[in-house]
Amino acid sequence: MLKKHRNVFSYSFDCLKRYRMRTAAIIIAFLVATTMISAVLFAKDGLEREAAFSVSVSPDLTVQYLKAGRVAPIPVAYAENLSSVEGVDRVLLRTWGYVGIGTNTYTVIGLDPSGLNCSGIATNSLESGRFLNANDSGTGNVVIGQLIAGILDVTAGDDMILLSESVDAMRFHIVGVFSDESSIYTADMMVMTLADANEFFKMDEGMVTDLCVYVDDGLVPQDVAAKMSSMPNVRILDQDLLIRGYKAAYAAKGGIFTTLWTIILVAVALIAFSQAIVVGHESKFEVGLLKTFGFSTLDVIEVRLIESLTLGFFATSLGMLLGFVYAAIFNAPGLVNILLGWAFLPSEFRLPVVISFESVFSIYAVTIIPLLISTVVPAWLNAITDPELAMRRAAT
Amino acid sequence: MIEARSITKVYNRGKFNETSAVVDVSLKIKDKTVVALTGPSGCGKTTMLSMLSLILTPSSGEILYDNDSVLRSSDFWKTIFRRNNFGFVFQHINLLPQYTALENVLLPIYSSDEDPARYKERAMSMLDKLGITDRAGHLVEQLSGGEQQRVAFVRALIKDPKYIFADEPTVFVDEETSRIIYRTLTQLRDMGKTIVISTHDPELMKIADDTFRMCKGKLA
Repeated sequence: MLKKHRNVFSYSFDCLKRYRMRTAAIIIAFLVATTMISAVLFAKDGLEREAAFSVSVSPDLTVQYLKAGRVAPIPVAYAENLSSVEGVDRVLLRTWGYVGIGTNTYTVIGLDPSGLNCSGIATNSLESGRFLNANDSGTGNVVIGQLIAGILDVTAGDDMILLSESVDAMRFHIVGVFSDESSIYTADMMVMTLADANEFFKMDEGMVTDLCVYVDDGLVPQDVAAKMSSMPNVRILDQDLLIRGYKAAYAAKGGIFTTLWTIILVAVALIAFSQAIVVGHESKFEVGLLKTFGFSTLDVIEVRLIESLTLGFFATSLGMLLGFVYAAIFNAPGLVNILLGWAFLPSEFRLPVVISFESVFSIYAVTIIPLLISTVVPAWLNAITDPELAMRRAAT
Repeated sequence: MIEARSITKVYNRGKFNETSAVVDVSLKIKDKTVVALTGPSGCGKTTMLSMLSLILTPSSGEILYDNDSVLRSSDFWKTIFRRNNFGFVFQHINLLPQYTALENVLLPIYSSDEDPARYKERAMSMLDKLGITDRAGHLVEQLSGGEQQRVAFVRALIKDPKYIFADEPTVFVDEETSRIIYRTLTQLRDMGKTIVISTHDPELMKIADDTFRMCKGKLA
């Protein structure tokens, strides 16, 4: 019995070699489809990881001031009011904004010196140098993202000049560079002390852009936020809102994902069609002949199953490898801008790429299962037909 | 013994192109004999041969092998029965074009528990007897029609079957191949094989012990 399966295996592998055109057509179709879908899914996984990291280092609640319905600087005095709300552990001040260097725009964040250790982006995500401490206040020391370091060709220990809104040139000293563990969050980020950021953005005395609220352990941030709702003119953002924001930021992906899934399905349908029509006669004849010579229906299915699984796994695995190379090494040209959606990131930004079990499984599922159906089902239908009829139909 | 009892085959039943290929045919084929099914083209010879060799299911009637009715047996059983007992030669030769002559000969072995490599020597010896040993490694498309039919004959005989079914084996071949086929079938008859041939070749009919003439799907 085992020998017969060995013979069937041998026959199946022989078929792959002999029907070169059929084999090549399937491999090429699957390579194209799986390369594209893999690149998208691996990049999506990377972006999701980045988004999760971004949320994890965010405060439980972010409070902003609304003036005429628009975000405006918030008085520092609000921090005391917020601190008195039940469930609030601490309130940190933050000033942030954007700065342009050349054609690129970067994010500048000024952190409250008393709460630097609250920042999840602290020392464990640094590639070189050190993170800020309370002594850096007003010194012009900054920690910058890897993308900025790369574009400006600077590293820890170097100085850089930034032009403020009022076109004042301000010198900053780089004390650290973030690692790419947090690429999308920190890539275009310059972190400095609150005092430096306030000076850079020429904030009015006693004003910051927002307040970062951390709630007591075990409390639900939304419950604490509900207690703040009576405060006038404030907008409270929780982490869920941030997650929705990130999803919106990369929402353009949704469209392209749908498109690519459709392309995959169309490709698979075309393969099925070609299997059924172009090579159908050849296949019918072969199945009829095999049945005549003693291959049972199960043997015929086994032959096609082995062929399809071998082809499918080979082509899909190679496609995934190419997809990874396309996204991780070549930065997915033609795809990266769509994937990043609204994010203002320079072209030098490296797309975060992560291979997750779910993505690998779903890629195998959407490719191999349709291939199995499109090859095994016709083979089964031919195999349950009288061999003479199968051969005769193949000839007509 | 092979016995057909009132077998009928209707193609496309109930459709505009319904065709009765074989109608109520009964016949008996004794073991170790050569039987020829003859008649004009379209008289149902091939259909009859296909039904007797269990590669086509009759619309009605019964087929018995050694007095056992086999039509109601499962598809799997019939497949195994064909695998173990039958050798086939087709009118249209039916070799797999992507395979060499030798590989086509060994094809029936792939459905068995036996190692195809073990049959190579036997296959080469049989190809040699039919004068095409030097063509063993050639692809089917590189062989002439006569050579292809000789390969098909070796394929039919590779497992030393008890029953051999040959459908118009000399219709598309040259004289030399025809002579080889007569000689081979004669040898097989002498070896005690049961051979059923559909043919209108008078030379082939000469080696037959019994001849059944068909006309319009019926025995004449």
